[in-house]
Amino acid sequence: MIYQILNKIDQQVQIEKVKAHCDIPCGIYDPIIAQISALTVVRMLDLMTEFDAKTPDRNKDYMNSMSRYIAVKEEHAERAKAEIRVIWGDYLKAQHLEKYPNAHALVHKIMQLGSKVRQSTDREQATQLVEAINEFAQIFWETKGIATKRAKAPYAPALELVYPAL
Amino acid sequence: MLKLLKITGDSLTPEYQNGDFVIISKIPFLFAPPSPGDVIAFRQVGYGLLIKRIEGVTQYGEVNVIGSHPESIDSRVFGPIRRESILGKVIWHIQKG
Repeated sequence: MIYQILNKIDQQVQIEKVKAHCDIPCGIYDPIIAQISALTVVRMLDLMTEFDAKTPDRNKDYMNSMSRYIAVKEEHAERAKAEIRVIWGDYLKAQHLEKYPNAHALVHKIMQLGSKVRQSTDREQATQLVEAINEFAQIFWETKGIATKRAKAPYAPALELVYPAL
Repeated sequence: MLKLLKITGDSLTPEYQNGDFVIISKIPFLFAPPSPGDVIAFRQVGYGLLIKRIEGVTQYGEVNVIGSHPESIDSRVFGPIRRESILGKVIWHIQKG
């Protein structure tokens, strides 16, 4: 009865509308791209070390191959940073940050390590990048209530990665 | 003090349906701050006047809102909202059926 009255009034005077709208946000976030990118950085460093050891001539072929390894290392370090930034900025919400107050510092550490591995050929820093992103992945999956497991990646450099235990 | 609004959209289904009316007011906030579970109307830049349920309140006093529909546009998309954006809490829900 009251609804019918209000509906009649709405037809006459247009009651203000309040939107309970839906959309289709993709909602697809996964730190695995960042993890694989960080692993690729380590792989490139290993290939550079190996190639350098077996190639005494510093000729143009050497320069060409080495510059390709470096280009891939650069690209993947930047990709790892970008992927983490997106999850941090778009997915993590205030309630997640309240529960994981170290998330900001961890993301900052990943950004710094991501830059350092571009600037240097220090494998130790690259493995630190992998581990920092693993730590981020652990937090990410915990926010979704999904258990994780650690397992060696099934390809070189076969470092441990954090995976969702589905 | 009181405001009559008509709902469009399905993000709060099944409790609040497209076409339902609600009366909102700020008076309840004189006695208790916005709290999880409250259904509120608020203005959001780029989206206009929205109605959602409060999921939580941040340490800065901002409010995270959520719809019951999985594809709801809410704080998962636009982040927490400021208290000043809230027009009122639903104090009466007039259903279609």
